[in-house]
Amino acid sequence: MADVLKDVPLNSVQVEALVVMKIVKACAATFPTTATGSLVGMDVNGTLQITNSFPFPTADVAASDAHPNDHMAASNLAAAAPRSKANITYQNEMIKYLREVNVDANNVGWYTSANMGNFVNTSLIENQFFYQKELNEKTVALVHDVSRSSQGALSLRAFRLSPTFMAAYKENKFTTENMQKTKFTYKDILVELPIIIHNSHLLTSFLHQLPAAPPTEDLEFPTSLSDLKRNQPAIPLYPNLDSLDLSVDPYLEKSCNMLLDSIETHYTELNNFQYYQRQLAREQTKITAWKTKRAAENATRVQQKLAPLPEDEWERVFKLPTEPSRLEGMLNARQVEQYSRQVDGFTASITSKMFAVKSNLLPDSA
Amino acid sequence: MAVDPPSFLHLARPLAPTVIGVQPTTAPVNVIIQPQAIFSILDHAIRRDIRDTQSTRVIGALLGVRSEDGMEAEVRNCFAIPHTENEDQVEVDVEYQKNMLALQLKANPREVLLGWYTTSLDLNSFSALIQNFFASPETGTFPHPSIHVTVSTDPGKGIEAKAYISAPVGVNAERASESCLFLPVPYDIRYSESEKSGLELISGAKDSESRAAPVVSDIEGLERAVDQALDLLERVAEYVNSVLDEERQPSNPLGQFLMNALSLAPKVDPEVIERDFNNHVQDVLVVSYLANTIRTQIDLSQRLATATLTMGGSDALASTGGGEGGEKGGQRGGKRGGRGGGGRGGQQREPREPNE
Repeated sequence: MADVLKDVPLNSVQVEALVVMKIVKACAATFPTTATGSLVGMDVNGTLQITNSFPFPTADVAASDAHPNDHMAASNLAAAAPRSKANITYQNEMIKYLREVNVDANNVGWYTSANMGNFVNTSLIENQFFYQKELNEKTVALVHDVSRSSQGALSLRAFRLSPTFMAAYKENKFTTENMQKTKFTYKDILVELPIIIHNSHLLTSFLHQLPAAPPTEDLEFPTSLSDLKRNQPAIPLYPNLDSLDLSVDPYLEKSCNMLLDSIETHYTELNNFQYYQRQLAREQTKITAWKTKRAAENATRVQQKLAPLPEDEWERVFKLPTEPSRLEGMLNARQVEQYSRQVDGFTASITSKMFAVKSNLLPDSA
Repeated sequence: MAVDPPSFLHLARPLAPTVIGVQPTTAPVNVIIQPQAIFSILDHAIRRDIRDTQSTRVIGALLGVRSEDGMEAEVRNCFAIPHTENEDQVEVDVEYQKNMLALQLKANPREVLLGWYTTSLDLNSFSALIQNFFASPETGTFPHPSIHVTVSTDPGKGIEAKAYISAPVGVNAERASESCLFLPVPYDIRYSESEKSGLELISGAKDSESRAAPVVSDIEGLERAVDQALDLLERVAEYVNSVLDEERQPSNPLGQFLMNALSLAPKVDPEVIERDFNNHVQDVLVVSYLANTIRTQIDLSQRLATATLTMGGSDALASTGGGEGGEKGGQRGGKRGGRGGGGRGGQQREPREPNE
């Protein structure tokens, strides 16, 4: 029975409202430094239910860091947190205590914060690989994009590494040859799972008490303008009218900058590869020259009735350069894809907003 | 639940019999509760252990930050504490509380212990006992007052919350530990800008039968927001029309308010707007176009990097690739040369066009 259940692959992620709020808080508190934390829950018939979460401590990092202003260094350390030894102990300890208060005591993954979608990097891969290679391989990485969430809809995504990538990463085989054989592309690195937000009954009843939709019945008229201004009706949480905000250009600009950075990385990778290929070509010409020379030498030796010299000595004389891993380039490609889809999303909302503004200001032209 | 009570009477707290040298603060306290703390309390209430305890409530500790003058306490976080309660005694797992507190503070070093919560509105002598534990100098929040938040979680009823601080009352010494005076204090539920989008998503699920909602994309969110705005405008227009038709009673303040709102609309030259609009739309579209071109280029480059090509095929492809594709094609050429020169790699190469 257990085996049957185990074979159901994960197909969606169900996140409790509590987890959403905890992640949002933890990520916003440390922004722009990366925040990471652990998720607990259980999987039921292919749906991974995430019911609680807790952040990883980063205090010792901040204290030991010589440059507290240098948030990049702190970010890097925080990004590596999920697989550091101290935090595994911390996580186990925490889960042990959570079990006592009836919280689901299975680790089901980890979360991280991102800034404008810049989450596809080796850190994410290494962390998720670390989690997924363990016995309980049904783990996900939740990525919460702080900057994107601040300008509209909440950006929360769930990712897993694909089985083919897991196999390749385990053996660290990212050579051209291997990738040709397995037909592995950058699109197969991460598998995104759909996320569903789930509320408990109690929470639903609580949410109905928070500022809700405007009342439908007639209200008393206000006695004066100041009276009206003082008793402003509460703005409902849903739908979020903030997404009507017009200032989206900074986000677009930031996305473009990051896209440019990615292209830069791409060129570095390209250059690395070209260097490798030139190196390889040079070595191989040398080898060919050596072989021809040896063949000629052997031919003369045969004529002189001498024993021929071995022909495979070149393997010891020359050393072929190792092929650089394709992984970096693939991740970068995936990141570029992520950015450009993001830009697409921005463009869609910006243009519609702009048409709205235009027809508002110039009603006749529409 | 009153989200923001407009005015509140702060009762003066009687002074505690103090430890000499440490003055307890007597300033009024405002409590701010962040939604995630409430969510966590509600989650804990659902996970109540009903097997070995007769109590219908659960307790836990509140963590958060206090303002410098101690006037404001912001509850940011909380954790559950196992406890058992029956008619004549209450047992709180002190060891658990201590360890969990240490763990929580490790991850959030700026937060401190603020008090405790329970999931029933009743205040009884056990509450006093626990309250005194949380307010004591060794294990609690002294010299700051310990905050006690009660949240009602009765099924079928609204959720109500109350916040208290406490003061000792004058009973004889042996009963002092189990008696105290609970003083109600005002509280706010406050959420920050960053939490707004999260709350939006969560509230989106509140009217659905399954209590679940998918994560929406930006454009869907925008669509809903526009719909909502149109709806609200319609309501106003309807009201104004019915006033004009003398069907409904007019209101001067409302009229004034609407006039003020309308006067915010900028006076602009149509041509300037037209021009700016066109420029901007073009900018945005070009950015989008370029982003997609880059994506295609990178995709192409990745495909070319791993594709197996024949001599003729690679040249043809390199010339169609343009810009970066050309660059890549050049690289490909270099590689081909390298392999061709070596030729002894033993690599089987089949002529195959990369499927574009």
